[in-house]
Amino acid sequence: MTQQNIHEEFLRLTGFEEEEMGRYLPEWRKASEKLGLTEEDVRFAVRERLPEHFALELEGIRKLLGCFVKETIDLTKAGEYKSRGTKIVYGILPAVLHFYYALKLTAPEKIFVSFPDIFITFVMNGFFHKLAPYLEEAEKTGIPYGCRHCALNKTRYAARRLGVIPSPDISWIWGFVCDEGPKTDEFIRLYHDPEWKTYVTRLPHDQPLGTVEDEVIERVEYLAAQMKDGFESVQKEIGIKVSEETIRGVIRIWQRYAAKVSELGRLMSADPQPLGAVSGRFFWEGLFTPLNTGMESMEKALDITLEEVRQRVRNREGILPQGAPKLLIYSIHPSVPWIARMFEENGVGIPLSEFFILTEKQLRPPTFEDPYMAAAEGWLRSSGMVNPGYQAEQICEKIRTHKFDGMVFGLMDFDRWLGSSHRLLGRMVEEKTQLPVFYIEGDNWEDRDYSPEALRTRIESICEIMKIRKG
Amino acid sequence: MDELEELAKVARTRPEQLKKRKDEGIKIIGYVGRFVPEELISASGAEPCLLCKGGQPDPPDAVIPYMLRFMSPYSRSQIGYHLLGVDPVVPLLDLVVVQCSDCHESRLADLFEYFKLPAVRLGVPPDWKKSISLDYYRRGLVRLKRTLENVSGGDISDERLRESVESLDKVRDLLSRIRLLRKAQPPSIGGHDFIRLNHATFYSDPDVSIRKLHAVYEELQRRESAFSADAPRLLLAGHVVAVGDYTVPKLIEDSGGVIAAEFLDEGIRHCPQKAEAGGDPLASLAETYYSAMTPPSIFQPAWEERIEHMKGLINEYAIDGVIWYGLSFEEIYDLECSVMSKVMSQMNIPFLKLESSYEYSREAVGPLTTRVESFIESLKQRRNRP
Repeated sequence: MTQQNIHEEFLRLTGFEEEEMGRYLPEWRKASEKLGLTEEDVRFAVRERLPEHFALELEGIRKLLGCFVKETIDLTKAGEYKSRGTKIVYGILPAVLHFYYALKLTAPEKIFVSFPDIFITFVMNGFFHKLAPYLEEAEKTGIPYGCRHCALNKTRYAARRLGVIPSPDISWIWGFVCDEGPKTDEFIRLYHDPEWKTYVTRLPHDQPLGTVEDEVIERVEYLAAQMKDGFESVQKEIGIKVSEETIRGVIRIWQRYAAKVSELGRLMSADPQPLGAVSGRFFWEGLFTPLNTGMESMEKALDITLEEVRQRVRNREGILPQGAPKLLIYSIHPSVPWIARMFEENGVGIPLSEFFILTEKQLRPPTFEDPYMAAAEGWLRSSGMVNPGYQAEQICEKIRTHKFDGMVFGLMDFDRWLGSSHRLLGRMVEEKTQLPVFYIEGDNWEDRDYSPEALRTRIESICEIMKIRKG
Repeated sequence: MDELEELAKVARTRPEQLKKRKDEGIKIIGYVGRFVPEELISASGAEPCLLCKGGQPDPPDAVIPYMLRFMSPYSRSQIGYHLLGVDPVVPLLDLVVVQCSDCHESRLADLFEYFKLPAVRLGVPPDWKKSISLDYYRRGLVRLKRTLENVSGGDISDERLRESVESLDKVRDLLSRIRLLRKAQPPSIGGHDFIRLNHATFYSDPDVSIRKLHAVYEELQRRESAFSADAPRLLLAGHVVAVGDYTVPKLIEDSGGVIAAEFLDEGIRHCPQKAEAGGDPLASLAETYYSAMTPPSIFQPAWEERIEHMKGLINEYAIDGVIWYGLSFEEIYDLECSVMSKVMSQMNIPFLKLESSYEYSREAVGPLTTRVESFIESLKQRRNRP
């Protein structure tokens, strides 16, 4: 197999059409080189990683992977865009993508938007299992290994150091959840790249346990004011003006997409489980991460997948036997795809990630006309963004709605906000539901510390307990 | 130093005093963090008590069943002692005010609430350069004032608040004067004692603190320094040296160095900037606490200002080397340490990073001692170089 052929094969496997090859093959080869991928890495993805973990027999899933490949190719071209005068805007997860998309839609040729670490992490680890060189680059240049810093932050920094991405014209960095994300930007600017310009937006975690935060008007107003202040500063920085109508337009696109993803969530809950947990998981990224290449390809892939999965449900086809126990998991990331597979191989499904599925309230239209108030309210309706008391209530609703037999927390050791409450949440959810709740210490972004060998016993034990309980 | 030890004794017996006060009907208010104004609590007629313990490994471990283990051992300690049943103060508290400026503090507040302790949170937005953030903090203080009035049953009048500010300013002033004595070589008081002195003032009535600090100041002017004339002068930087966490400062000074200055965010009174007593005292308090002091590491942007502050300390106190005292899994300080290390390298100031999880067994202290001794020895050799 020549180098040309393995790259071609990779693109075909990830849903590229014949007529796209002429354009994308040279671009992909150039991008893969820039990312630090060898021919062997691509061969590993084609022969092992992707077939092992993704349902490549489904056209929709192949095209979904292709969206991430296209976006990553585009990201490696950000430096070229910048040299041609395009304004580069970065962000991090979690954020409300409406604002970033609205920038893109207002001036498609003049603006490049990306959450760069997400795509590099997902593609480099999820497809090639090769994020380690990025992490090691960060660890030897100022973000030490021992403190359990987040792999996303290390990757963003390392990608800049390695010249994969350029300095942004503005990185609008959200610290509504974690502290390390925004402070990493401050670190990058002071330690490595004085051109790395940042605008920070924060919200203190100061609501008592159980507060329904989206109903505390003062909090919604403050968050809306923070969002507005940040968005206006970004527009000023890059010299464009986004209309409120454009933001509303993005919200409509988002709601349409969210409804479709929710349908996929319902289908994933079917018995038997029609699709492995990792295969469709990238669709949920579309709810939170802006794609500079646009939402259309992702939505098209979702439409195809929905049809294919509906067919599987109609045919009662599943990846597990009917009646297999199923657990809600806090979050499963395709960057470490073997975790989900290990559950499935042991006869237990983890079809959905709690962080990404929506409650009944989240699917309701916003109470407010003002787009900032609407976005703020939406944010405060999301389980991961609020106090653990309210979060536990939402988790219980999701468990009831999708008829889960229990829940798995953990795998978020790197996150001092989203991961730090899991043990407490586990207790709250167990008290409320009387269902078994488990905790796994691990890292969803990278598996250098928590290898399959390290987690196998824990996962197998959980699966055995669940099978015994369910009889 | 007799006066210091006397003050330290007063501080050590604080729980007994608090119990007596509680029996007399006085409310006891615990607080966590430098953004909770002690003045406000005192002005309500309640007894304030800073929660700032640390230095032992088992209290943070006691929290692990309820929290990710990769969290600050300092934050975890503030409830860990209570979970182990060895905190005499927490059961006495009528209220505990927890500042929420970062994830570690907010998760601590979660646990206080989960365990049904009477907690209230004070939100501190880290994006401190924005007027909406200052307003947020100010509104938080207004709410806190109302809560304190409800708990203590007394009004916090402007006059009482001013009196309280003035009283604590005297404490800060005296500490500031003592701090300045450390510019001498060798200084008459090192960092180990100065940090303990600071701590003691959090657990003594201001009047007692003022009297004792006067005496300490007089004594320090009179007495001969216990440090050798060629002791390398060190700056101790980091998040906090908690009450009881004295192993590292003592080790540094037992190894032949002297801590001539500190750059710590918590557990120390920030002397040079006093809360203004004039005008609307609550607004002034908000402005001073939030905007006027050197920003803590979590604020953003903060590190450039902090670098300048550190450079100022190095120059003013003729510092030979910097020891960064990091606590495990404090991710923001860990990043800042790298930034500071780079700046120090550019300034040709030797820099040593130490990290603690409050594990001070003999096995842990051995290598720590070797590192500190080697660093201090290298500073001495550097000094003696022509």
